[in-house]
Amino acid sequence: MEAWIDFAKGPLFAVTFLIMILGLARLLIIQLYNLIISKGGRLKNAPWKSILKDAATWFFPVKHLIKGTVIFSAFSFLFHIGVIIVPVFLADHIVLWENFLGANLPAIGQGLADFLTLFTIGCILVLLFMRIFVRRQRAMSKPMDYFLLVMVLFPFLSGYLASHPGSNPFTWESMMLVHLLSAEFLFVLIPFTKLAHIVLYFFDRISGLHWQLRPGAGDRVAKALFDEEARV
Amino acid sequence: MSSKLRIIKDILWFFAFLALIAGIFRLWYGLGPTTALSDEMPWGLWKVMNMIAGVAISTSGFTIGFLVYVLKMERFRPLVKPAILIAFLGYGSSCLALLFDIGLPHRFWHPLVMWNEHSFLFEVFWCVMLYFTVTTIELSPTILKRFGAEKLSHWLHRIAFGVVVVGITLSSLHHSSLGSLFLVTPLRLHALWYSAWLPLFFIISAMAAGLMFIIFVRIAYARLYDPDPIYGLRMDSGIKSNGSEFFATPQMKNLALLGAIASSILGIYLILKFVDLARAGELMLLFNGSWESWLFMFELFVAALLPIILTVIPRVRRSPAGLGTAAFLASFGLVLNRMNVGIFGYFHDTAQPYFPSLAEWGLSLGVIAAAALVFMFISEQFPIFDESWRRRMEKSDVFTYAFDKLSHVWNTVLMSGLQRVTLIAVLAIPLAWLLFYPPFKADDTTDGRIKPAIGLDQTRTVLLIDGNRDGVKTEFPHVDHQNRLGKEQSCQKCHHIAMPRDNATPCYRCHSNMLDSAEIFDHFGHMQLVAEKEKLDGLHPKNHSCSNCHNPALPNTASDAKACTECHKEDMKLGNEPYARLQLASASPYRSAMHENCIECHKKEEIKQNKPNLAHCSTCHKSLEPVNLKIAKSADTIKALPEPLTLAR
Repeated sequence: MEAWIDFAKGPLFAVTFLIMILGLARLLIIQLYNLIISKGGRLKNAPWKSILKDAATWFFPVKHLIKGTVIFSAFSFLFHIGVIIVPVFLADHIVLWENFLGANLPAIGQGLADFLTLFTIGCILVLLFMRIFVRRQRAMSKPMDYFLLVMVLFPFLSGYLASHPGSNPFTWESMMLVHLLSAEFLFVLIPFTKLAHIVLYFFDRISGLHWQLRPGAGDRVAKALFDEEARV
Repeated sequence: MSSKLRIIKDILWFFAFLALIAGIFRLWYGLGPTTALSDEMPWGLWKVMNMIAGVAISTSGFTIGFLVYVLKMERFRPLVKPAILIAFLGYGSSCLALLFDIGLPHRFWHPLVMWNEHSFLFEVFWCVMLYFTVTTIELSPTILKRFGAEKLSHWLHRIAFGVVVVGITLSSLHHSSLGSLFLVTPLRLHALWYSAWLPLFFIISAMAAGLMFIIFVRIAYARLYDPDPIYGLRMDSGIKSNGSEFFATPQMKNLALLGAIASSILGIYLILKFVDLARAGELMLLFNGSWESWLFMFELFVAALLPIILTVIPRVRRSPAGLGTAAFLASFGLVLNRMNVGIFGYFHDTAQPYFPSLAEWGLSLGVIAAAALVFMFISEQFPIFDESWRRRMEKSDVFTYAFDKLSHVWNTVLMSGLQRVTLIAVLAIPLAWLLFYPPFKADDTTDGRIKPAIGLDQTRTVLLIDGNRDGVKTEFPHVDHQNRLGKEQSCQKCHHIAMPRDNATPCYRCHSNMLDSAEIFDHFGHMQLVAEKEKLDGLHPKNHSCSNCHNPALPNTASDAKACTECHKEDMKLGNEPYARLQLASASPYRSAMHENCIECHKKEEIKQNKPNLAHCSTCHKSLEPVNLKIAKSADTIKALPEPLTLAR
């Protein structure tokens, strides 16, 4: 167990983190390439002001919350607060950042961290519940959405249990291993699933410039044009 | 692009990315941590497989040049350009691998200026460099023509004959020199491979295998890109148009002739090999049942005998598959031969067999893969084999904007090729990191010997202590401590025991293990020394030395031996504390030795100087700042770990 934890803490962490960084960088470059090279002309006349404004309103989506799926949107917004702050600024993680990247970040207190972790776990459970039992959310959910939510739940739950031996029914080692492995699996998932929106979010706001096609639309158009699976 | 070709390219890209990372690690960390090379086997995969075998296999540039330009065999004219491309890439990739092997790539020009005319390698360097230039000149008209530099291209074409002759001369020089390199190891290289004729063997086998390799490349190209000129026009059912068993296209007939030429050279090589063995009286070595003898026979069988048999049969010779097999076997056999002469032949002499590290495999295969990719790129874009590149170019630009096959709006398609390649990079680079990153596979810190402290400046005023080199560093102001503790006289305060005739033995010499105590008393050495000093004689003089230290009346254990200081009173410096005999026999673990030595004194000074934090961890371990320590302590995880030091790591 000890050796596995060491492996997950050292090489596996570095490698999965590298996959995430490289994968996100790749998506970023592809998006930038698409914007600058293939849409260069249109980019000049883009309505930058409204794009930025739109992006800013999505950061604090008060306006968007009022219309539509209020509860779901509110919870998914709150969920993002914990999901961003806890992994990055948790005191135990700061040591990791320092060792691997040499960065010296400020840490959040243990109390706040505990609260945010529990809060995030609660948000995930609510979101899962709604995606399962509310018809409107179930209609727009794909299997991947459930899977990703559960995958995000794992590191939070195991991390909380590992750091609170009082409420932990398992051993510290097993929880730590689950915590490490599930987080690392998430690293690998990020650049290849819709979790990639952690960088692509910013491009999505400029999507007015893109052709926005529904998933799989390209295949259908190509089929209509060439009567085959044209992939060039 | 056919899916078969795409998969091959994906695999090649994968290896190329592995090589990229392996190369960076090699240059950053050096040969020691990245390779399995040792003083006994200093020439590993990169030199033997990439350089010596890689250069030998790309001789086609000069052999085909000789056939076409000197012997005027015009029928081989279509093979000239591919042959030159093979030579160019073969030499280029060999030099690339060699740069990583030798290191300091920015000094590649040194042999140009700093001559060492007594060295074979000096001649090899010059020949390889000049020949690489020659192949570049020979190749450039093809490339330049495409970009419209007609005049330059025409001029280069006119001097082609002269350049080819220079190339042939250079080639025949350095291929034999590569064999001569191994002449200096008559006692180390196994007798089956060592021979005074090695230079001759090297050039003959290189000529034959070079021809075979271009046959192989031509057939492989036909299989992947354009089968018609070699395989013949096929009906829909896949039956050859002629139907006859001996049917072969004109190009295939030429290749068959080339195969016959190559295998006749191979025949000469085979006969010479046996003549040489007989001449040296080593024929019986073939049958002594050692693994070397089996390997030698296997090598000759694959490299020479089997290709000859295959090409002698007309039906096999004229079929692409048959000739391709023969050509592949001969090329593979050549590489095996060079590996035998360069690596396997030394195993009987080395203590432990050499097996290349993962980084070595990665770089080696990756450089070859990169060369293959460049070969494919050039032969797709330029008229190397035929004019079919023009057709391909016309076909490929029909529909450049691709839709989202990966079925997510996120994955906007860049260009289908680059999209795949970047994806492969994203997966291959971290994998390479995991496989090659030297600190990951650094041997266990618990049984590795402690490394000496590093001086941070020239005069070693500040020492960087990191005994197991795992990154937890401690800066130790050495001169500062000396000054504080009484200058010259202070050494023995910390260096509590110095070895004989030494003033201050470094800590790591005795405390040589991080977590275990280490034996420091060299019993055998003492026996030997005493035997020599006292001029003891008899069958086992060392055995008579016991009574020098042990009391003969007692059971010769450590506790009844003479105290060390009885002999070493003058030459060994000991600190103030009295040492029992047993204490001098073993040294405590490095970590506890360092901690005890420092902390004991710091604790005393803490009270004396009224500096409350002097004995605190963070005084020496700067990374354990009090803030971090507080965090570490507050976390509940602390009880699960042995020491705060481990946690901070």
